[in-house]
Amino acid sequence: MSDPVAPREGTGGNVEYRVAHLHDRLAAEELGELGVRAEIRAGAIAVTGTVPSAQCRETLLRVVREELTGLTVHTDIVVAATTGPDHAEEL
Amino acid sequence: MRVAAVGDIHMGADSQGLLRPAFETLDDCADLLLLAGDLTRHGTPAEAEVVAREVRDLPVPVVAVLGNHDHHDERPEEVTAILQDAGVTVLEGTATVVECAGARVGIAGTKGFGGGFVGRSAGEFGEPVMKEFVRTTRRSADSLCAALKDLDGQDCAARIALTHFSPVADTLAGEPPEIHPFLGSYLLAEAIDTAGADLAIHGHAHLGSEHGMTAGGVRVRNVAQPVIRRAFNVYHLGGEG
Repeated sequence: MSDPVAPREGTGGNVEYRVAHLHDRLAAEELGELGVRAEIRAGAIAVTGTVPSAQCRETLLRVVREELTGLTVHTDIVVAATTGPDHAEEL
Repeated sequence: MRVAAVGDIHMGADSQGLLRPAFETLDDCADLLLLAGDLTRHGTPAEAEVVAREVRDLPVPVVAVLGNHDHHDERPEEVTAILQDAGVTVLEGTATVVECAGARVGIAGTKGFGGGFVGRSAGEFGEPVMKEFVRTTRRSADSLCAALKDLDGQDCAARIALTHFSPVADTLAGEPPEIHPFLGSYLLAEAIDTAGADLAIHGHAHLGSEHGMTAGGVRVRNVAQPVIRRAFNVYHLGGEG
């Protein structure tokens, strides 16, 4: 994910709007994803968060690749853990 | 009393069976399961059916509120009915009492809504859509307060406020402060403090943190699955475990 590739024609150079469009697309399409963060950091885009399944992670990474083509992207997307707790909190 | 809770499980077609193995062990460690909303991704009946199969016939009672995702398809009544058919008690401005290890636990629930926190909150002023935004939260908070008060006199050993949106900013730590008004409202905390509760459970803030407290001293726990990093967390209330 970290290797820059050629930008898509017509996308322009405005990284901020492209990140905004990524957020829009993640929410609007099959993922319905509002909890993933995409931030511009030192000239690259960091995409971080937790998704509910491995399939969601694959879909998300595909959408990120499509939307942020040509930009340096670092991803750290975790799949939510599904095991029970090993202890309780006493309140 | 042992209270299990999780929110933001965001189930879709690919989720079936992910949480069921952990849920089937619930009676080893908990007396009831609270679901703090965003049980689906888009609020479709098909996704609600996935959730329903995941929680049907569990060994402990299940009490839920819906979240904003569960409203996205604009069919919250259908989602609610599907969950109820699976035995889930779905709260919206209402309360229920669950027998829990020989004691009675009252749960009052509502989805809640946004608006922000004291000093940085939206006001009921200006354009109709802005006023309606804040009034939506106010109505939700009022219904939560009334539901908690309804539990008075019902011989409850503990009362729990269950919401999807957060009543406090504490449990949003980790979220960008700019979006706090979309993550919760102090009106929910004010309702909880006015009526009284022993614990407040919410979800919604995936990047937030687990622990917080209202101004009135009620402990708040954000149980969004990305925060707790488990199928559920368990809280012991009442000192007896």
